[in-house]
Amino acid sequence: MTYPTIFPTGATIYDPARCWNGYTVFQAKEVGALLIDMNGGEVQLWKELHGMPNRILPGGHLMGSSGERSTAFGSQDGIDLIQVDWDGNIVWRFNRYEFIEDPGEEPQWMARQHHDYQREGSPVGYYAPGLEPLTDRGRTLVLSHKNVRNAAICDKPLLDDTLIEVNWEGEVVWEWVCSEHFEELGFREDARNLLFRNPNWLQSGGGAGDWMHINSMSLLGPNRWFDAGDRRFHPDNIIWCARESNITAVVDRQTGRIVWRLGPNYDETPELRRLGWIIGQHHAHMIPRGLPGQGNILVFDNGGWAGYGSPNPGAPTGFRNALRDYSRVLEIDPTTLGVVWQYTPVEAGLPFPVDANRFYSPFISSAQRLPNGNTLITEGSGGRIIEVTAGHEIVWEYISPYWGKMLRINMIYRAYRVPYEWVPQAEQPQERAIERIDVTRFRVPGASPGGARRVVAVAGVLPYRPDAALCVRTDAGGETAKEISG
Amino acid sequence: MSILLFTATGCARCAIAKKFMAEKGLACDEHDAIGAGKERFGQFYRAHRGAVFRGKEGIEFPVLAQGGEIRQGVAAVLAWLQCGSRLDGFICRSESSKGWVGGLHVSRGDPGEAERLAGVLGVLKRNGLKLQLDTDGRNPAVLERLLRQGIGDRVVMDLKGPQALYPALVGAPVDPQDVERSMVLAAGFPEFRYETTVAPVPAMEEGREGCRYLSPEEIAATARWLKEATGSYRQPYFLRIFDPRATADDRLGSVAALSPGELIRHRTAARNYQVLTEVQTIST
Repeated sequence: MTYPTIFPTGATIYDPARCWNGYTVFQAKEVGALLIDMNGGEVQLWKELHGMPNRILPGGHLMGSSGERSTAFGSQDGIDLIQVDWDGNIVWRFNRYEFIEDPGEEPQWMARQHHDYQREGSPVGYYAPGLEPLTDRGRTLVLSHKNVRNAAICDKPLLDDTLIEVNWEGEVVWEWVCSEHFEELGFREDARNLLFRNPNWLQSGGGAGDWMHINSMSLLGPNRWFDAGDRRFHPDNIIWCARESNITAVVDRQTGRIVWRLGPNYDETPELRRLGWIIGQHHAHMIPRGLPGQGNILVFDNGGWAGYGSPNPGAPTGFRNALRDYSRVLEIDPTTLGVVWQYTPVEAGLPFPVDANRFYSPFISSAQRLPNGNTLITEGSGGRIIEVTAGHEIVWEYISPYWGKMLRINMIYRAYRVPYEWVPQAEQPQERAIERIDVTRFRVPGASPGGARRVVAVAGVLPYRPDAALCVRTDAGGETAKEISG
Repeated sequence: MSILLFTATGCARCAIAKKFMAEKGLACDEHDAIGAGKERFGQFYRAHRGAVFRGKEGIEFPVLAQGGEIRQGVAAVLAWLQCGSRLDGFICRSESSKGWVGGLHVSRGDPGEAERLAGVLGVLKRNGLKLQLDTDGRNPAVLERLLRQGIGDRVVMDLKGPQALYPALVGAPVDPQDVERSMVLAAGFPEFRYETTVAPVPAMEEGREGCRYLSPEEIAATARWLKEATGSYRQPYFLRIFDPRATADDRLGSVAALSPGELIRHRTAARNYQVLTEVQTIST
């Protein structure tokens, strides 16, 4: 990736007529939960309120966490999951999942929440007509951690992922433990062998293997597949995805069994080969009823490095053996695995593959379908949020101006757009179009304007060829592009 | 009455039994059940199939027969050789392996035989075996004696349920103070844990028949009792699933088994008083 040293932050593109206008909430790095308007105006900051992710609920409530466990003992363990009101008062808290006694720390209950949660009423935690999350009652699904041992996977301690359901009183009433379903995950022998030797070993807390790293979890919600009789897609079933294994799966809520799965292998059927290898993906969820594309799976396919398998030149031991240096947002029909819509470097207008890495976030990130058919994409590692139309045009762009002091990155884990009505306390902002800047003419103060002071002609030079060859093949219309276009 | 003893090649526990017999001057008719005496053992097994237990790892040796009595496992064999059937309540078959001897039930035997029990277990201990003692809280004096003598490497206390239901769950009168004393004593052993099987209990409400499982509230009361008796909210406390196939109580055999997921509410309730409570899905 080529990042300039100097570039604007905040809102950089805004076409009000083509956007689905509302507020956007995200965790500003080392600052807090930030609510912005379409012009990038900072409506409210819940200072130092953590969130993985932060979410706005109707009524101006916000969900997040009061803090994280020390990384000396855990990895991405949220101490709790809380709901605060517009004024920052805690109205709901969950932390009674595990009693933690870390050396030198005050013993305490912890939620060990990470990456996701869902409040009853909304299957995916973002706006869809008639599917609003409850704010004064209801259950909450929480993605949490648990340290386990499972000799079938590995002889080392494992940092496992669990899905738990918590009632309004903060009591755990249901639990699903990923490692207990190892045999349903479809790992081939080469992957099993590598997992046993290196289950993505983390040093924190005395060491544990973060073998799956589930990073999203949501309900399927009401959908056309179930209505047509496909029991795999029962509205109460849960879809999750795991970056280290490249697996996306649906868990039957009643039996706990995995009833639908994508990955870890993408070479076993023609449909999978057409889809291509999904790598390190985030935010796989079913588009909720009432939104364009309802019933399809929307996922940010990061690329980067992930998976377990046979060694190759990029992965000498087979650890993180799938590699790709660009990202894709895919909308997939879960019954055919056909790609219904996508946003990849090709749709972004980037010469492929030479400039493909300009749409690339190797970790975090997300995609939210909006009611007008647009898609809000968090290209997380670069702190960039874009709203793209179904025709792939960017109609809103925002670059986070918040770089961490401890970690020099302006990353955004996951942003959400909500309707203005969900925040009745704030006066609806004025929507002012941002004229598109012509970057070929844009100069910072002190820089010279463009254009050569003197131009000379050289006799005999030929015009530039439209089919000029580069050092590597540029085949935006060729085979590789066809592969990623599905 | 002659002693018929079946051993197995390389069996350390069999060697302990034979050494014990030699020290007592007891003769026996010994057969190596996996060597030259294989056929002889086969005949014996077919004739006494119901009395010889075959576990996941096969048949545990030694197996002793004398005068119509059959004893299996080194603890039961030594107990028989030492004092006949006096220790039968205390010592059952062992399903433990890898250096451990289990099936030692402190609560089930005659407390008047505590000295003999300590004697037999002491032999096993001196021969390098580790002893797991099981108790449901009864006979705390026996447990205390074994603790004092350094006999017992691990105690598993089967905490049947809340105080109010304890006699019904044990099927006999129980002094709650005995249970509380055992809870405290258990924590004095090198390894210990407390377990409660979420078991069916007879419906006690008037006009109701059948049985129901212990409720989350009753499990919470059990955990609270453990906390109050031991003064600790962080005891190693485990909830176990009731297995209808394994019960000896005919009334309970047809009860539908719970799934581990159905115990989550029980775990949540127990954690209000014992914060480390877990559902035990794999027996150790």
